[in-house]
Amino acid sequence: MTATNGQTTLSIRDLHVSVEDAEILRGVTLDVPAGEVHALMGPNGSGKSTLANALMGHPAYDVTAGQVHFKGRDVLDLETDERARLGMFLAFQYPAEIPGVRVASFLRLALNARRESEISVMAFRRLLLEKMQMLRMDPKFASRYLNEGFSGGEKKRNEILQLAVLEPELAILDETDSGLDIDALRIVADGVNRLRGSDLGVLVITHYQRLLNYIEPDRVHVLIDGRVVESGGKELAERLEAEGYERYGAATTSEDA
Amino acid sequence: MTSTTRDLIADLSTSHGEPGWLRERRAAAWHVYETTPAPTWSDEEWRRTDTSWVDWDGAAPAANGADPARLALPMEVSSASALLRQRGSMVEVLYTSPEARDAGVTVVSLAAAADTDGATVADRLGTDLAPPSAGKLQAMNAALWSGGAFVRVPEGAKLTAPIVIVIDAADQPIFPRTLVSTGAGSSADVLEWWRSSQAATLGFANGCVELFVGAGSKLSYTHVQAWGSHTGSFLTQYASVARDAELATTNVTLGGRFHKGAIAATLTGPGANVRLNGMAYLDGEQFADHHTLQDHRTTDAASDLLYVNVLDGSARSVYAGTIMVQPHAQRSNAYQQNRNLMLQRGPRADSIPRLEIMADDVRCTHGSTTSTIDPMHLYYLGSRGLGLDQARSLIVDGTFEPVLDRIPDATVRSAVRTAVRAKLHGTAAA
Ligand SMILES: Nc1ncnc2c1ncn2[C@@H]1O[C@H](COP(=O)(O)OP(=O)(O)OP(=O)(O)O)[C@@H](O)[C@H]1O
Ligand SMILES: [Mg+2]
Repeated sequence: MTATNGQTTLSIRDLHVSVEDAEILRGVTLDVPAGEVHALMGPNGSGKSTLANALMGHPAYDVTAGQVHFKGRDVLDLETDERARLGMFLAFQYPAEIPGVRVASFLRLALNARRESEISVMAFRRLLLEKMQMLRMDPKFASRYLNEGFSGGEKKRNEILQLAVLEPELAILDETDSGLDIDALRIVADGVNRLRGSDLGVLVITHYQRLLNYIEPDRVHVLIDGRVVESGGKELAERLEAEGYERYGAATTSEDA
Repeated sequence: MTSTTRDLIADLSTSHGEPGWLRERRAAAWHVYETTPAPTWSDEEWRRTDTSWVDWDGAAPAANGADPARLALPMEVSSASALLRQRGSMVEVLYTSPEARDAGVTVVSLAAAADTDGATVADRLGTDLAPPSAGKLQAMNAALWSGGAFVRVPEGAKLTAPIVIVIDAADQPIFPRTLVSTGAGSSADVLEWWRSSQAATLGFANGCVELFVGAGSKLSYTHVQAWGSHTGSFLTQYASVARDAELATTNVTLGGRFHKGAIAATLTGPGANVRLNGMAYLDGEQFADHHTLQDHRTTDAASDLLYVNVLDGSARSVYAGTIMVQPHAQRSNAYQQNRNLMLQRGPRADSIPRLEIMADDVRCTHGSTTSTIDPMHLYYLGSRGLGLDQARSLIVDGTFEPVLDRIPDATVRSAVRTAVRAKLHGTAAA
């Protein structure tokens, strides 16, 4: 399938990634065109988070072969922060807890890093409150330390808050749905849907059909053992939900906490 | 040589018109100084702390007429309750707010207070808390202090703005001395700031602070050490905290080549509540040693200590903290936390907790962590677009934040935050 509105936001070609000399990704090829939502599914340990982190430039992941282009630009030589400023965003499966760093002050710096000119403190406050309201987050989270003591679901909401404030052009959501209650799931899905059709490309990593009921994917890819073994429409996700990964000869099934 | 110093002390005291009792105390303190041996490596308290550079025999009163660099005040004068500035040995009270005046608050030089508030000063200066017998440094200060600051907050007075004491030094020795006492039910914030310009060479400072926190009163005392980078500095800061009183001290160590702080709080009445906070940001060859004591001498009192050091370059820190609970001091709560963050491989931090718990019904914990910046934290911040320097300074800021959070007064907090950031960014640029 080709891009719906032209430009391919993310293009991954034959990507090989190793961690501590073990090859985890063994030739991944995948495109996420601007304006589309793609789902990436696969059993535990198949390499989904490895892909997400390799795209973002995680220091422990070695890209041994292949290419990644974002907005037409080779990003593999860029530092993580440069990729972020270019418009890439990863909502982490396990967000870091950073004591002493307040959500609001961190996020204002992050937003300023993305912008040409600094946003005023007042304008930022307004923006933050508006986004928090949209995500039904208590404003008190703004002055809390980044993810410290947050519940699992609160961390996920905080990732989406950052997504909403930073407005990237590529959002990779790594199991953002796990740990979210039904209401939060809907809110997150609404947020993503609202940005759909614009320039935003989305790669949703999930184990559950549930999320895909709210965010209907344009494409679904199955990652097994470091390779994309099948791609298809949204009905592929429904089939996986019913059958699991056994047909691919995968050793594990997809239940994860 | 030493007998001339004794005469010099007496002459200076006379020429300043000091009362007889003070002249006698200086002489007695000098005698203690001369007969007390200098600390050596074999004393437990000084094992990790090199004092071989101190010229013990050359100790003499600070010269008059010192002219320290003119440094900007740490905050708007009008956002203070009172502002006292000492330059060398000269003290000026630059400002007293109408609020402070109406409340009957006294902020004057200690030298003046020895006259005008003679009874209080005689009763409290170097008697119970930091007498010359406490050690050679305390004796040295008691004999040689000049200028000084005296703060008295009368019963029931509640100040909404901080009392600010600024001590500016030039290249010669300085012996700051501060006496604060809060009356029953009063509340005040005091900020003391030690400064010399970066150009100053080889300074020596030995200061002594006594805090008397009266029953049911609240005192927050913040001390910023921001000497130029060639100063060797000693600080003795002792407090006694009465029934139902609250004390929060925060020691901020930024400057100097060498700094040694002896910080103690004695809880004397039930319901006393003490927070001892400290933060040091050290780089280059800086050395800082903090010895703390939480001394529970009463039942039903609480103390909570948090000292945070961030070390860069080949800086070194020593933190040694004792929690002492006297045999009858049942139902004491005492906590102690020391955190050290190393920004690279060069620095070293020693952390030595000591518990002396002689009562059986107490809650008491202590902990110490020494860590480096977590690369996963840098990755996370990087993934949001923050460059390495930005992410590191955010993490350093964040390491200090829990301490800053414990400074109750917003004006003081922001002045401290600004000073820490200035150092952080100054060195980052160098
Ligand atoms: N830092 C690491 N050190 C060692 N092994 C690693 C590291 N990171 C990932 N791996 C291994 O790589 C494989 C793929 O891990 P990855 O986290 O990408 O899986 P995943 O598909 O995201 O699984 P899940 O569905 O459980 O989140 C696993 O076997 C994992 O143990
Ligand atoms: Mg994963």
